[in-house]
Formats: sequence, C-alpha cells, structure tokens
Amino acid sequence: MGSEGGGSLVVVPRNFRLLEELERGEKGIGDGTVSYGMDDADDIYMRSWTGTIIGPHNTVHEGRIYQLKLFCDKDYPDSPPTARFQTRINMTCVNQETGMVEPSLFPMLLNWRREYTMEDILIGLKKEMSSPQNRKLHQPLDGNDDQRVEQKGLVLRCAIL
Amino acid sequence: MGIEGESIDSSAASVGKSLLATVNVRCSNGSKFSVQIALDATVGAFKTLLAEKSDVPTQQQRLIYKGRILKDEQTLESYGLESDHTVHLVRGAALSTASTNSSANLGTSATGTTAAAPRDASSTDGGDFGGVGSASPLLPGFGASGVFGTGASGLLGSGFPEFDQVQQQLTQNPNMMRDMLNMPAIQNLMNNPDLVRNLIMSNPQMREILDRNPDLAHVLNDPSTLRQTLEAARNPELMREMMRNTDRAMSNIESSPEGFNMLRRMYETVQEPFLNATTMAGNTGGDGSNPFAALLGNQANIQSRDRSTNPSVTDSDVTNGSSPNSNPLPNPWNNAGPTPATNTRSTPTGEARSAVFGGLGVPDLGAGGMPDPSVLSQVLQNPAMAQMMQSMLSNPQYVSQIFNMNPQLRSMMESNTQLREMLQNPEFLRQLASPETLQQVLSLQQSLFTLIGRQQLNQGQNQSNGATGMEHLMQMFGGLGAGVNHGVPSNPDVPPEELYATQLSQLQEMGFFDTQENIRALIATAGNVHAAVERLLGSMGH
Repeated sequence: MGSEGGGSLVVVPRNFRLLEELERGEKGIGDGTVSYGMDDADDIYMRSWTGTIIGPHNTVHEGRIYQLKLFCDKDYPDSPPTARFQTRINMTCVNQETGMVEPSLFPMLLNWRREYTMEDILIGLKKEMSSPQNRKLHQPLDGNDDQRVEQKGLVLRCAIL
Repeated sequence: MGIEGESIDSSAASVGKSLLATVNVRCSNGSKFSVQIALDATVGAFKTLLAEKSDVPTQQQRLIYKGRILKDEQTLESYGLESDHTVHLVRGAALSTASTNSSANLGTSATGTTAAAPRDASSTDGGDFGGVGSASPLLPGFGASGVFGTGASGLLGSGFPEFDQVQQQLTQNPNMMRDMLNMPAIQNLMNNPDLVRNLIMSNPQMREILDRNPDLAHVLNDPSTLRQTLEAARNPELMREMMRNTDRAMSNIESSPEGFNMLRRMYETVQEPFLNATTMAGNTGGDGSNPFAALLGNQANIQSRDRSTNPSVTDSDVTNGSSPNSNPLPNPWNNAGPTPATNTRSTPTGEARSAVFGGLGVPDLGAGGMPDPSVLSQVLQNPAMAQMMQSMLSNPQYVSQIFNMNPQLRSMMESNTQLREMLQNPEFLRQLASPETLQQVLSLQQSLFTLIGRQQLNQGQNQSNGATGMEHLMQMFGGLGAGVNHGVPSNPDVPPEELYATQLSQLQEMGFFDTQENIRALIATAGNVHAAVERLLGSMGH
C-alpha cells in the first residue's frame, strides 16, 4: 500500500497532460512570456509543437523572438521532449549547427521530471538566455525580422524549383 | 426548401459566430487587454486594431499565438484562434527592408562588375513586373548550383576547383548536367541535408540571406525540396513545367490584392540578395569562376532556349549561353583562395582572398586576369604555387585519396591499372607537379574547350557521342587539375626542410645563406639543385 500510495499521486496520462498544455498555450495561462501550441491539430498523438520565446529584457536577446520546435514522443512526459531552435541563436546549450538544445548542457532536460511541461522548458530556456554566460553573447543577424508569409514560402519554393 | 433554409441558417450562424470574438492580448511588458474582432479578419486588420489599443505601430507589431508568429496576410481563423485565447504582442524592430537593402548594397559595393543585380533592380523600380517574374526562374539555378557548386567542397572541406570547371561545362550543356545529377555519388551528396546546408553556409552572402529568412533556410534544409530541385534539373521537361507554374503562381498572386506588394517585398528581401550572392560571392576575378554565377548563366541559357523571347535576359547572358567559346577559362584557383575565410562571415571573401594570395606573393590574382592564359602560366610558375602543389603531391596517399573521391577518375583508374600505378608513383606525381607539365595540361585543356565549343556550335542541339566523350575527357582533365590543386589547404606531411635537407646543405655550401629562399627555390624546382641555383640567381638579379 505504501508504495502504491506514493505512486497514486495521479499519473496523468500523456494525452490529458498534452491537452492541458495545449489549453494553457492557447489561452496564455501562466508566465505569459512564452507561447506555444501544437503544429498539426490533426495529429492525434500531439507530438509536434512550436514554442516561442520572447527575448528577455536587458540582454542581447531583447526584442528578438525565438521560435523552436518541440517534439513530444510517445513516451512524453516520462522522458523529455526534444527542443530545437528554428531561429538562429548563439547560446551555450544550443548546438550552433542544428539548433538542438543539448540535453547534456541544459539541466532541465538532463534531469527531466515528469511534472515538467513544455512551458517549463521554454521558461527555462528563457532564463538561460539571461544567465551571465548567455546574456551578452554575440547573436547572429536577426533572422526573425521578416518572417515569411506562408504563402510567400510557397512561392519561394516554387521559385527555387 | 427545408434543406435550403437550414443551410442558410447554419451559414448565418457561422457568420454570427465569427462576428466577434474576444481575444486577449498580452504585451511583452506584461500588460494585458482584450479586443473584439471577427475571426475571419486578417492578421493585418487585427494589427491595425491593436495599434489603436496599444502604442505599437502596426509595422512593429509581432503577434505570437501558439508559438507561431502570425503573418499579416493570413486570417485569424487560419491559425485556429478562438474566443478567449491569448495572443502575445511583441514590439519588434522596424521594417526590415532597410537592413536588406543595406546588405544588398554591401554585396554590390565589393565590385561594380555585376550587371545582373542593378539590371533587375531597375526593372522592378520601373514597375515592370516581368522583371520579377522572369527573375525568379533564375533561382532554380541557385537551387541546383548551390547544391552542386559546393557539394564537393563540403565533402572535402574546402573549395573544390573542379566544380568550377564542371559548372562551366554545365552552363554549356544541360545534358551534361543531367548526367552528372544521375551519378550516384552526387545523389548521395544531395540526400544529405547537412552537407547541403554546409555548402550553402560556406558562402557568406548566401548565409546572410538564409539568416534573414528562416523559412527559406527551412526550404533549403529540406531534403525533399532539394531532391525535387535536382529532379527538375535532371529533367528539362519538368523544369520547363515548373517554370511555367511559377510564372502562373506569380501572376495569380499579382492579381490578388496586396499581392504585388508582397512579391515586391519578397523580391527585395530575397531575390536581390540572392542574385548578389550568386553573382558576386566576393569574386573580383574571372567571371566563370563563381559557381553560382555560372549556373545563373546556365539558367539564362536554358531560359532563352525554352522561351524564344524573354525580355529580362540581357544580350550578354544570351551570348554567354549560346557561344560557350567566349567564356573565359575558369580559374581553378579562385575557389581555393577564399577557403580559409569561409568561416568568417563578416570578411568580404574577395578581400580575404586577395589577402591570402597577397601573402603568397601571387601577382595580380584578384585583379581579374585569370582568363588570360599568360597570367595563368605566370601563376603556375610562381614558386608559391609550385610549393603548394609540391607539398600536396609529395604525399602519394593523399593524391590517391583525392582521386578516389572523384568518381570519374576512380572509374578511370579501375579500368586502367597502368594509370593507377602511374599515379601511385611519387616520381610521376612530382613530374606532374612541375609547372611545365601543369601548363601543358592546362593549355591542352583550353584547346579542348575551344574544340568542344566549336563542335557544339556546329552540331547545335544534336550532341553526338563524340562531343560527349570529349567532355568526359575534359572533365577528367578538370579532375586532374583539381587533384593537383587540391593540396592548397593541406599541410605536407614532411616539412620541406627535411625533404630537401641534402640539397639545402649543398646550397648553403654554394653560398646561398637564406634558408627560406633556398627552400622556396628547391620546392619550386622539385629538389633540383641546379634549377634552384638558377632560380636563386635569377631572383637576385631582379
């Protein structure tokens, strides 16, 4: 019983958990400096997510918007999602080439706990941005200034082809 | 009737539902307010509304919902926005066109030689929409060439001059391009997005564009897109079809409200820097040397062939394409120079290159004399160049490695054991490295070029097997040239002091005390003391 009591801290199933996160993301509940949502509303596994971090004040990141892809595999939330920056960023825990947040360099992913949410990751990353080793790092040219219109992207694709 | 009435009702209901939704807006400074807006309104309209409620002008507004940045042209519905949902409002930088323009200028300021960028710019300024529409098919050139031009360089971690040559040929012969693209090695290359990414990133200007346009980067990083591109390049029919589609898409967009402006913006933010990057790439020298430029030329060529009249293709482009003969011999060294600079984005490549070569004392390399054979030979005779080749060729293993990397050379070697033996013989390689030999090879190559050009002219589109065979031969030579040249960035395993220890001491005894000078002379003469003495005496005389 004792052990069961410990485990009965209600293990929220993956889907419930993700739905909850989805609602929080849509309604902007919580911190409010990060935003996130599901990429494909038709994906019943709710795996692919997009998150946005608004660069914290008084850092080089101020005024920048960082977009990243979060991928919650089917073992989420037991194991952490992968996080990959789509916007170029110079940050100690981010692989410069791929934009991947390296779990070994980002404690939250390394010591993942089931209660952590994607919002926590985003907020954690945001905190990381204002950490002493990251706040003054030289950043690549702002790639966010002119986010392409999707239609535009399509045209571009055509054009490239 | 009943059904009809019902459908009207339901549509009315849906309109009613979309009439007004309460959307919470959260500013980056923490303040919150809510606005009411119809969900079928565009983001642009929403921004106008927000501009009244907040003090952020529409141009500076960045709206984020579900982790995505909302784009002006889309409707709120399309993002799945519903009542009571929260949108984040961030004050972004002012409009980005200024920075784009400045970067475009940055590109042009390096040299005033590119006609392409100013030409196209003027055509847009004049409101000639054809300019944009027709410029866009130029991009496929980039697609393929980006992949190509640097494909090998990614592989070898440095500029691979052979590709200049190949590209040059490709500009003249679409069939060839197809052949190349069908090669399994190239296909492997293409299927590796990292590689492609690498190679695009190795062009600082390209990189800047991609940095500015993440979506574009995404497109380029998508292996399937690249595959499609290549597919298109391989199949002329497909290519034509795609160009037609593009044109149609363009005109469709043009006819939609704001479409023209959008295209114009797109042109300004992407096309122009692209053209700059492709045509300039920091190359102050010979114009055949830039892979991107070459492919652009190719594109123009195809275009002019596919559509008999195209206003945007200038005369120079057309002539460039149709008479391959007039193209200058590509400079195989042009790419090698800037290699060290590829990582430093801020350094204009041309400058870096001239610095590199300046350090080596190569005369006038950046000045654009490369097409001139005499300059070429001058370079070949330059001790520094000879040194590089020597250092590379002194390592047979390395050479064979290079040869193995070139699929055509490899197949050649496999079918010809004698050749392999030859190539593994250091003595032969040394001979190969001697400036005289190289010069001969180059002149041979050049004459082949001319020959092929003539043949092509004679035969028009009907490529006989003979011509193709010739091209393969030429490519082989290109490969040889590349192999020889490839040693530029490498370090010799054996330092020249050791290699030429005996000769050095001999020279010392003869009274030549400047060790560095001696080494240089020895390297240039492949260890021949007599020749070295002559060279040293000659340099003293100067």
